Amino acid sequence: MSKTDDTKLIERCMHGDREAFEALLVEYEKPVFNAAFRMLNNRDDARDVTQTVFLKVFQNFAQFDPSRRFFSWIYRITLNESINWLGKENRLEPLLHETADEGKGPDEEVESARVSAEVQAALMTITTDYRTVVILKHFLGCSYVEISEILDVPEKTVKSRLYTARQQLKDALVGLN
Amino acid sequence: MAIEQKYSDLINADIDGDISVAEKTELEAYLAENAEGKALHDELASLCATLEGVEQEEPPTFMRHIIMNSVPPTRAKEESPGFLQILLATPALKYAATFAAGVVLALSIVSSDQLSNQAFDSVTGLVGTVADPVQANLEGSFALNEPAIAGTVSLRSAGSLLILDFDLVATDYTEIEAEYSDRTIWFNGFAQLESDDTTVSAETGRVRLGMEGKRRYAVYLHNQGGRETTVNLSFKVDGDVVHESTLDYVPEK
Repeated sequence: MSKTDDTKLIERCMHGDREAFEALLVEYEKPVFNAAFRMLNNRDDARDVTQTVFLKVFQNFAQFDPSRRFFSWIYRITLNESINWLGKENRLEPLLHETADEGKGPDEEVESARVSAEVQAALMTITTDYRTVVILKHFLGCSYVEISEILDVPEKTVKSRLYTARQQLKDALVGLN
Repeated sequence: MAIEQKYSDLINADIDGDISVAEKTELEAYLAENAEGKALHDELASLCATLEGVEQEEPPTFMRHIIMNSVPPTRAKEESPGFLQILLATPALKYAATFAAGVVLALSIVSSDQLSNQAFDSVTGLVGTVADPVQANLEGSFALNEPAIAGTVSLRSAGSLLILDFDLVATDYTEIEAEYSDRTIWFNGFAQLESDDTTVSAETGRVRLGMEGKRRYAVYLHNQGGRETTVNLSFKVDGDVVHESTLDYVPEK
């Protein structure tokens, strides 16, 4: 969806238009859920965070800066909510091998699930700062500039974090295998 | 030997396609002479391909419905009120209209302990017109987010009227039982929006409903004297309870 389309929908949302809000929900529920899932490694937690994100968005449309892109705003809320969620009740993150040993078999689906689980297990070994840039770059397809805007850090910092994160992910995946 | 930071950065930039022609030439010359650098380039390229290839997770089926149920309703367009709206704007008339509708509903349905939904075809659509004009207080609500059924149920009060609003989606046929602790409360009516196939039966102390798919409906209870009560709700699919909740009505003192 283009920035113009988003802007029109947001204008309608600011007037309490539920249909416009549902259109945004349809567009963004999957990336928001996936970002939360990759941050938290738990579908139930990701669902709760996604619900919270969309409610916050609905309640705070007035605070949205129309000169910025909507996805920057909603992804930032998603990542902040996920990090807050991780901080709650000293949640323990899953053990490295908890999901990575699942699903060895001949089928492509099983192989795909195995790779996904291994990547997720590796993601959970790196800090949230590094995990965040990996998710934005590789799971949400954001550019350096967009990541810089979402995280409100210089582009140079984005690159530095991303490069370090990749190195750590690579090492973690080697360790898993 | 460790790879210089400069070349490590160039390798990453190359993988991301964020490299100038001059930098690319420099990197290629470096990789041609440095096996360790070449290995890192290959490993990181492979890692990025793996990350890009990970399939996206599908969000839970009912998540969108639950989110939409959590946001406030669309504001009505500002239009000149019609004659009926002007009449209903008067609180006493609002209540009278509600009471009249309740009486009609009650006369239609309370003559039998076991009721068929067929009796309610004529009242389909009354949820909005009966409930909305009433100055009803929200007493409580809960959200369901089970694999088989999701949505919201709320309890409102208006004088001696208790209104249970259901806004649910069920993948399979679901039986719902609303049992109220105060046995003097009696079933006063039922109305549904957008559909007419939710089944309902009532007996002393409880109402049973049956539904499948996306349904919106309301159950009206007469609570003479506005006594405190608890409504216990259970949701069953194939005989198994999938969700239980309670809603309390506590009169203001």
